[in-house]
Amino acid sequence: MKILTLDQLDQFFTRISETWELRLPVLLPDGTRAIAPFTSAPPALLGGAVPGKPTAAFFPQQASVFTVYDGALQEPQTPDRPLFIIGFTPRDLACLRFIDRFFADGWRDDIYFRQRQHAVVAGLSGLCGPNGAMIPPAGGDCDLEFFFDGSNWLVVPYSEAGQAIVASLPDSSSPKTLELFRQASAQPEDENEILIKRASELLQADRVPDSFWAEIGERCIACTGCNLACPTCTCFGVQDWRSARQTERSRMWDSCQLDGFMREASGHNPLGSEALRTRRRIHHKLAADPEKWGEISCFLCGRCDAVCPTGIGMVAVARELVTRFGLTESKYLVTGG
Amino acid sequence: MKRTLTVCPYCGCGCMFYLVSNQGRLIGVEPSTTHPVSRGGLCVKGWNAYAFVHHPDRLTAPLIRRDGSLQPVSWDEALDLVVARLRAVQEKHGNDAVMFASSAKATNEENYLLMKLARAVFGTNNIDHCARLCHSSTVTGLAETFGSGAMTNSISCFDQTDVILVIGSNTTEQHPLIGSRILNAVRKGTHLIVADNRRIRLARQAELHLRHKNGSDVALLNGIMQIIIAEGLADPEFIKARTENYEALAEAVADWTPERTAAATGLGVEEIIAAARLFAGAERGMIVYSMGITQHSHGVDNVRCIAALAMLTGNVGRPGTGVNPLRGQNNVQGGCDMGALPDLFSGYQKVADPLVREKFAAAWGVTALSDKPGLPLTRAMDAASAGHLYGMFIMGENPMLSDPDQGHARRVLENLELLVVQDIFLTETAALADIVLPAACYAEKEGTFTNTERRIQPLRKAVEPPGAARADWEIICDIAARAGYQGMRYSSPAVIMNEIASLTPIYGGITYDRLDPHGLQWPCPDREHPGTPILHLERFTRGLGHFSPALHQLPAELPDDRYPFVLTTGRTYFHWHTGSMTRRSHLLDREEPRSFIELHPDDAARLGVRNRDELLISSRRGQVLTTARVTDMVIPGVLFMPFHFVEGAANALTNNVLDPESSIPEFKVCAVHVEKLP
Amino acid sequence: MHSSKQLYNSSSLYLPFDCEIISIKNLTPAEKLFRLRRLDGAALGHLSGQFVQVSLLGWGEAPISVASSPTRDGYFELGVRRAGSLTGAMHQLQAGDIIGIRGPFGRPFDLAQLHRQDLLLISGGCGLAPMRSLIQYCEDRPEEFGQISVLYGAKNPEHALFKDDLAVWEASASFACSLTVDNISSGDCYSGNIGLITALIPPLSFDPAATIAVIVGPPVMYRAVIAELKKKELTSDRIVVSLERQMRCGVGKCGHCTIEHLYCCQDGPVFRLDEVEHLRGAL
Repeated sequence: MKILTLDQLDQFFTRISETWELRLPVLLPDGTRAIAPFTSAPPALLGGAVPGKPTAAFFPQQASVFTVYDGALQEPQTPDRPLFIIGFTPRDLACLRFIDRFFADGWRDDIYFRQRQHAVVAGLSGLCGPNGAMIPPAGGDCDLEFFFDGSNWLVVPYSEAGQAIVASLPDSSSPKTLELFRQASAQPEDENEILIKRASELLQADRVPDSFWAEIGERCIACTGCNLACPTCTCFGVQDWRSARQTERSRMWDSCQLDGFMREASGHNPLGSEALRTRRRIHHKLAADPEKWGEISCFLCGRCDAVCPTGIGMVAVARELVTRFGLTESKYLVTGG
Repeated sequence: MKRTLTVCPYCGCGCMFYLVSNQGRLIGVEPSTTHPVSRGGLCVKGWNAYAFVHHPDRLTAPLIRRDGSLQPVSWDEALDLVVARLRAVQEKHGNDAVMFASSAKATNEENYLLMKLARAVFGTNNIDHCARLCHSSTVTGLAETFGSGAMTNSISCFDQTDVILVIGSNTTEQHPLIGSRILNAVRKGTHLIVADNRRIRLARQAELHLRHKNGSDVALLNGIMQIIIAEGLADPEFIKARTENYEALAEAVADWTPERTAAATGLGVEEIIAAARLFAGAERGMIVYSMGITQHSHGVDNVRCIAALAMLTGNVGRPGTGVNPLRGQNNVQGGCDMGALPDLFSGYQKVADPLVREKFAAAWGVTALSDKPGLPLTRAMDAASAGHLYGMFIMGENPMLSDPDQGHARRVLENLELLVVQDIFLTETAALADIVLPAACYAEKEGTFTNTERRIQPLRKAVEPPGAARADWEIICDIAARAGYQGMRYSSPAVIMNEIASLTPIYGGITYDRLDPHGLQWPCPDREHPGTPILHLERFTRGLGHFSPALHQLPAELPDDRYPFVLTTGRTYFHWHTGSMTRRSHLLDREEPRSFIELHPDDAARLGVRNRDELLISSRRGQVLTTARVTDMVIPGVLFMPFHFVEGAANALTNNVLDPESSIPEFKVCAVHVEKLP
Repeated sequence: MHSSKQLYNSSSLYLPFDCEIISIKNLTPAEKLFRLRRLDGAALGHLSGQFVQVSLLGWGEAPISVASSPTRDGYFELGVRRAGSLTGAMHQLQAGDIIGIRGPFGRPFDLAQLHRQDLLLISGGCGLAPMRSLIQYCEDRPEEFGQISVLYGAKNPEHALFKDDLAVWEASASFACSLTVDNISSGDCYSGNIGLITALIPPLSFDPAATIAVIVGPPVMYRAVIAELKKKELTSDRIVVSLERQMRCGVGKCGHCTIEHLYCCQDGPVFRLDEVEHLRGAL
């Protein structure tokens, strides 16, 4: 590992962008942050997770599947230069690990991996959360990680690619950084993690009545933001655009909060009510994915809660659910018979 | 990869977001986290606002009708022809034989320019836009009572109020980021009264849901005011200090007892009393309304009653109060502000005022401007059939689907000597045109939009227009130049705004450098002025607020034996107006792919109709095929149908009867017959 | 409407390969049977119960079950109901036209499970299309199975699929074939059963320990038929269902066909009832 001053970090970015297409958190004109190309806007590494889903780099809102022009097939281009992306928090990295697994499993999704396979992913942690809050380090799930001690950046490699990159860096030793890194690595589980696990248990035990979902569904305006902001939401729709000489097939982020998501041509709809769709949104992450993949697929990045105009994101719903149906283990056991 | 901060092209909420583009193509949308309306969120249309932009149906070249079909031509040829033929119609039939229809989808600068083109270059006040169809009754009614026809308060006020009365607005569907604020306010303890006979989402969260008869709003509001006065719940200090003509109101509503109101509205006495007490009893009360109030043959009267209720209870000029007409289109407020209206210049300066005409004539370098008020859009069709109107230049509107009585609209448009349509797609209206001009869409140009809270916000270019398409402002300036007018040469929309500011007091302090990042709210009279979040703070724009009592009148067409159902029309969450954009957005069109009509389960049972059955709906004006949606959203005897769909067009049925003062059509009530097809 | 170039030599999961329409047959006013072959001459390589994604350029893709048995060489068949824009466009095609196909996808009928068992093959409406693939297989390999009963319900005689096949199966000694229609209209020339398909089950006599029931039909059919079968003591592990969902990708990615944790396009469409009956929204 190496420790970089802010100046050295800036030089590092400049050097990286000679080989890679470097993207990192930047400050956009109205104060919104986003992961964007280096030099497109002032870097803004501090402030925590960016509001947009960072996995959009590999799975953008809309992407070409193929184009047929005058009868000739054109597949989407592989990027000229591989991506080097900084800005995944440890929770974002867990999301990325999950969808890497999802897209690789069974049939390997070549459109995703066309962007993903040669990309270098760097995590971001340390005293760079909202208002300088500590983000505990990921300790893995990425090629390398940038950890901020308040004045310098510790750069920790995990993969071979990460090691090669870090090896070439200068080092401005600072024992403070290392000590802080060790302390932060041993952070206890936070309140939301306990909450989401409890909610998951209640769902898997089928302890949540349909009336709860109907009630939450009444407050949903079907904006679909929860899905579109979620780094582990992978559902997509497909459209064809046809003109005189060209047909373009593309795929775009879809949302299980839409009535049309599962509606069949006959009109039959397995997700034909707001209550069922709301249940699916939560149940899929907290009960179905644990069944299929062995882990809850919400990593508490907080984006759906931030994006939801009516306050029914994952954590808000989980909190309501646990408060009402499973505040204490004993209550759960007593009424569970 | 690039992100461009810009304004959503759909509703009047005016959310700002970033368009994400890669190699000149839009690939998505990200909300602004700091914008005062979007605050990191968007509605489904906003999230999908990138989706139609590169659609292969986009118009990419000017078209001229030759041998019956539209053929691509050069800009030179198309625009020379536009000018020559407009002039030819005017030479033959007079200046007022042509009409310009502007667009609430176009920018302020473009609305201003088309207004200027009509008045300065072509010498007619025949300029109007679709505000005529949505909030012209608001402009008339609030100008009379308050002196300013705009939303009095700001969207942030929904976070600071004690009671909200929503009447004739399906807010969560039509202004979703305002509707969601109302939902949040209710969760935090704000009381909600919904007066609308559809069981809309807000109604399901409301403390009181009044399902009054269509067209009985004046009766309901008079009845509520009667109770407030009778029970001593009015605000005498406000009435005394800030208003005039109170006695006339008190007299007019005096005999609207709860019993009489109940009989006229179909409501129970108790719920009317409860609504009156709840609203009047609150420290701060907001009234929200939209097309359920305005689109009636007595729309101005409805607005007068709403203004009166707000003044009666002292709910004007403070945070968390006010009369809040939610403007439908992203820039319908701006279209009105810019004077794309037959009787007003920009900033609501009257054509009838000779000093105003002189000011504009001097600034525009013309000798005189016509003092004859122009035609309202909704009277254009009748004027054409009566032989007064022979040519129309329509920018970004689709009257074939949006005007009442579609059959009449079609006959008129087909019979015009000249129809020019400037749009982004070949709409149903453009398909009838002699000349079609391809325009850039919102993502391909610069300008400003003014949202429903009077916030003037900057639109920014993210990608290039397709083919030869050009921004509306460039096309208008080119037409002016070809017409021999030298006063419309601008290097950019920012320069146009400077001219607007110099002539328009409420925009007097607006310059582009002041609009970053999230705009300013008018009135903003000078460069130092910070903008105005709340109108009528210490005095009304007109001085004293004026109580204008209104008499209850029935809708123009009521059900009878032959046409036994009331049809009311509106919009759905997923589509925008005539669907030219949303029906070309995959996910939005997938949600609502076809025309439908809502009918109550009791009516359905009586008619033997099941969900998804095909129905033939007839009125005195036309008939359409549509699909049944059996739902308790509507009350028995009332049908609801959205007007987005060309196949199954609600406006083939609607009644082209106009409010006499504002010329708004009665979209909300007509009588129809329902027949189930085998 | 179709591509003129072969697309199959590609790396992408989402690229269709070209198939030629050999022939088209009208099944009902709303349904046609398309006989297809791969342009490269290769076999489709499917198993009974699997589906393909039909790809029409400009219209997108739709999942369609294969209606023919892999034992029939040189072609495969798709029964297509005109329901949406893509299937509407498909109905406009002619023999000789080229369409795109991806697949086959999904879990087929488990022949090992069906081996030497008596079979109740119960289908309704267009569910007969995927069932036909299995019935044809049974026709071609009768030695692999015990007694085979084919039960089919249609809305009315006009809407019954594969009338020619049904006539053959009715005449065949290999099958016991029972048909029913929900109702008839006055002009129909029809003398068979009238009533719901559930009415065909009580009269049957079978050994629940040696019988497998396979059900393919519209969503409303499953619960009612399963209830009748359970009355006859057939257990859930001996009931097989094929579930239709709006599969968009066919490869477990797009998320449109999930039933709780299962992906209908990968874990199904064929399921043993005991795998899904406890899952919300499965039946």
